[in-house]
Amino acid sequence: MSVVLHEQSWRAQLELGFARRAERTVISHRKHVGPLVVQKPFYPEGDVCHVYLLHPPGGVVGGDRLEIKAAVDQQAHALITTPASGKFYRSNNTLATQTQHLTVAGGAILEWLPQETILFADSHVAMTTRVDVVEDANFIGWDIVCLGRPASGEQYDRGQCRQAFEIWCDEKPIIIERALFKGGADMLSAPWGMAGYSVSGTMIAINADESLLQALREIEIEKGRGQFSVSLIDGALVCRFLGHQGEAARRCFVQAWQLIRPKLIGRQASVPRIWNT
Amino acid sequence: MDDTYSHLRLWQLISPALPVGAYAYSQGLEYAVDAGWISDEASVQDWISGVAVNSLANLDLPVLVRMYQAWQENEDEVKRWSRFLLASRESSEILAEDRHLGQALARLLSDLNIEQAVPWQQSELTNFPAMFSLAAKQWHIALDQTLSGYVWAWCENQVAAAIKIVPLGQTAGQRILSHLIEQIPSYADGAMKCVDEEIGVLCPGLAIASAKHETQYSRLFRS
Repeated sequence: MSVVLHEQSWRAQLELGFARRAERTVISHRKHVGPLVVQKPFYPEGDVCHVYLLHPPGGVVGGDRLEIKAAVDQQAHALITTPASGKFYRSNNTLATQTQHLTVAGGAILEWLPQETILFADSHVAMTTRVDVVEDANFIGWDIVCLGRPASGEQYDRGQCRQAFEIWCDEKPIIIERALFKGGADMLSAPWGMAGYSVSGTMIAINADESLLQALREIEIEKGRGQFSVSLIDGALVCRFLGHQGEAARRCFVQAWQLIRPKLIGRQASVPRIWNT
Repeated sequence: MDDTYSHLRLWQLISPALPVGAYAYSQGLEYAVDAGWISDEASVQDWISGVAVNSLANLDLPVLVRMYQAWQENEDEVKRWSRFLLASRESSEILAEDRHLGQALARLLSDLNIEQAVPWQQSELTNFPAMFSLAAKQWHIALDQTLSGYVWAWCENQVAAAIKIVPLGQTAGQRILSHLIEQIPSYADGAMKCVDEEIGVLCPGLAIASAKHETQYSRLFRS
């Protein structure tokens, strides 16, 4: 079976630039093509620029191409999230792509906290998040994928998703994570793979240390509800979650974020209000 | 160079007696047993062959192909793929294992007069596939044999670990190896066809097992 790219489909692009002004971080550059937009930023903590990314169609179909670029300039601090989970619909063998390229300059901070992405059965997807940082930049972010919609009785028994989540520092790879979810594959049920869980999440925070690792190891998932682990890989904290619900993954990572944020950024973490609606 | 020479060299390279200390590592298998995820011959076989086909065949082997080809003319390419490989390691223990084995093999190869190995003895970029491919190249081992040999050595080590940890009998271990032998040739084929963008496939359960192993209370193995 070959997967083709459709010619007549949405191509949506969004480019965002964040810059530090006297008082706070502002959106200094914004350009969009197609249905991918950003609301007016808001400032619940004073100077940090909080932004919601919106994809008004609400879901992605085969042939769609979404491209997001965000660049955080020197000393700026942006927090990006989404007001709803992303959805990739069934797609008749046509590939849908979502490409995210995030760059963080010296002394800058980017928090990338999107809600989970739901892959409907028989969706064909390539999702890439590449983060480019420099030596003294900071990044905390996660990527959560939900396979199928088990709550509605839909198993991920057909379809395919290639997912990449990569952190590069000065053009050299720090963390490369690439996953391949194939509908109905052994990997979904095997203990070395998804172990029968339908939600997989990875959270990465750079510039971390041993004390933070110890703190995060205390996070526990209720027995039978999922698995959580953390490892400190050459200074990058990598947290992994497996479970049954996207929301549980987010709750788990928020707990981690609440421990990481004060340590790495010197600020308390409060849950974006949009998640509660 | 005749076939017998290169075969003998391959056996030398993949022997459990190769003094790099591979026997000390289980790559998450020890945790998987401790947590009750795997407990008998059948589940151990599924674990080892699942990790081999998903993780090893999609990461180590295609990277080995590239390193093997790069050793001749472009050592910078070997370094580039070394960075990629190390950044792809699932946990700090698996990363440390790759560096330890690589540095041990770099020392050995230096002692066996392979000069290109010398600067790799202390390097942060050193990893086992980089040194394995260097040895294979120097000793005229064909690429497909190099790939199959690499997987075989890994499988043998995993089975030896499982025999101790589960525990399993020696015959059960041989049955698992016999099963793995059926699959190994296809891994090498796949690795040679793999394109750059498709290298690296996460096994979430393995990644979690190896991270959790870091704090496992009682353990025999270093990963």
